[in-house]
Amino acid sequence: MTDRDPQPDGGHPAGATDPTYAEWRQHLWEDQVLLGQRCHDCGHATAAPKAACAQCGSRSIERIDLPPEGEVYARTRIEIAPAEFDGPYTVALVDLGEARVLARLTGEREIGESVTLTDVYEGDLGPAPVFG
Amino acid sequence: MHQPHVVGAGMTRFAAHDRPLAELFGEAAVSALDDASLGTDAIEAFYLGNAMGGQIENASHLAPQLASHIGLAGIPCQRFEDACATSSNAFKHAVQAVESGRHDAVLVGGVERCTPETGLDTAEMTTQFATAMHELYEQPVGLSFPGVFGLLTDRHMHEYGTTEEQLAEVAVKNHFHGSLNPDAQHGREITVEEVLDSPVVASPFRLYDCCPFSDGASAVVVANESVAETARDQGADEPIAVQGVGHATDVVPIADKVDPGATQAARDAAEQAYDAAGIGPGDVDVVELHDCFTGAEILATEALGFFEAGEGGPAAAEGRTRLGGELPVNPSGGLKAKGHPIGATGTAQIVELVTQLRGAAGERQVEDAQVGLAHNLGGDTATTLVSVLEAGA
Ligand SMILES: [Zn+2]
Repeated sequence: MTDRDPQPDGGHPAGATDPTYAEWRQHLWEDQVLLGQRCHDCGHATAAPKAACAQCGSRSIERIDLPPEGEVYARTRIEIAPAEFDGPYTVALVDLGEARVLARLTGEREIGESVTLTDVYEGDLGPAPVFG
Repeated sequence: MHQPHVVGAGMTRFAAHDRPLAELFGEAAVSALDDASLGTDAIEAFYLGNAMGGQIENASHLAPQLASHIGLAGIPCQRFEDACATSSNAFKHAVQAVESGRHDAVLVGGVERCTPETGLDTAEMTTQFATAMHELYEQPVGLSFPGVFGLLTDRHMHEYGTTEEQLAEVAVKNHFHGSLNPDAQHGREITVEEVLDSPVVASPFRLYDCCPFSDGASAVVVANESVAETARDQGADEPIAVQGVGHATDVVPIADKVDPGATQAARDAAEQAYDAAGIGPGDVDVVELHDCFTGAEILATEALGFFEAGEGGPAAAEGRTRLGGELPVNPSGGLKAKGHPIGATGTAQIVELVTQLRGAAGERQVEDAQVGLAHNLGGDTATTLVSVLEAGA
């Protein structure tokens, strides 16, 4: 254990995210759960946990489970993919109500259509949520 | 407070170049110094934009390396990195250094190689560019940069009815402008049909909606009023005043931006630049903006206040942003046709504005251009710089 690991009492070192990057990946990979955060000071919620609130800078933020349902906000069909991926596939911003998340999207979906977290894409760069 | 001017400007042709970074940058820097009729002894600092030399070409500590190449060793040198907005940020620091009186004259420019001349193919270079995205929330999904702007443009089409034909019109216009620019990578005119028949890269963008991979360099000399006068006495063309530079950022990743399509950093940077210059969007005569993809140009013309939300697409289709139209946008051909060597793009926009405001742009000259605006965006729109330049000030 190094001083950068989460502390044994479940606390996190200053400047770390709660959940940590490793915990965020693990919850998605093993439990198919998207972890997020909500700010105690301004109420801002995010699907991209950080060390402080992106809207007000507060470090008083709590870990939340995000809902597995949402609506398609915007889509792009990637035909020419980065080298680690095999195209084509669709990437979307999915609106989960309080927060948006970037995800893979299966099937032909319109903006505004309801979608559910159905799977986790396990690529070389880590897990990514799949909605359909 | 001093009044910063651009007193000299130079660039290489944007293209695929089988030449090292030092030679490419050397060509741009020497032509900027010669254009300013100044020797290296007049330059007190050197700011370099290079985004990815470390990862693409195993080249780091580039500022003193390139300074040594052109006879500037000894002065303070610094490299900047902010994705595609890299050399605009270097330019901002040069302007501030001159304005504050810290330096009398600064050489600022950028250089980058992104074509297969680097040994990297399209998929590998797409990966290099994707390093500007969030490592946990974006890269594992397989998003590409055409995909980032594809998402923003998909949403814009949904909200305002922007069409693929309107996107294509932006490409057609910028290729026409590029055909008039000897430094442009693409000198060939294209048609709306050719754009719509080209293969999809990331929807809604097809090949001709996307800027090319490019190699190239650009440089300008920023100086105070007394060096500007010396340069003029020694035979330099008209100095062009820098009236304002705005610089703003937004949240990363893209999913966290309050209204991703608004490109809020561009709106904030524009407001700063307009306020500093004491002007509004209606006072601008010529624009160089960040059209990495056709949809990005439409979003930018709205964010900068030239058109109402949803009017950017129709305005492009009606020719209002074409040479001869009410507000020519990207007379150089823009990133789309002139090319986009990442770290060289920002100062190349300044090179074009200086050329236009001096009335020296030849066939692509914007009539009576007095006020020019540059808009340079980095990453997933999280960084934007907006600069306002003025002739005869
Ligand atoms: Zn907050």
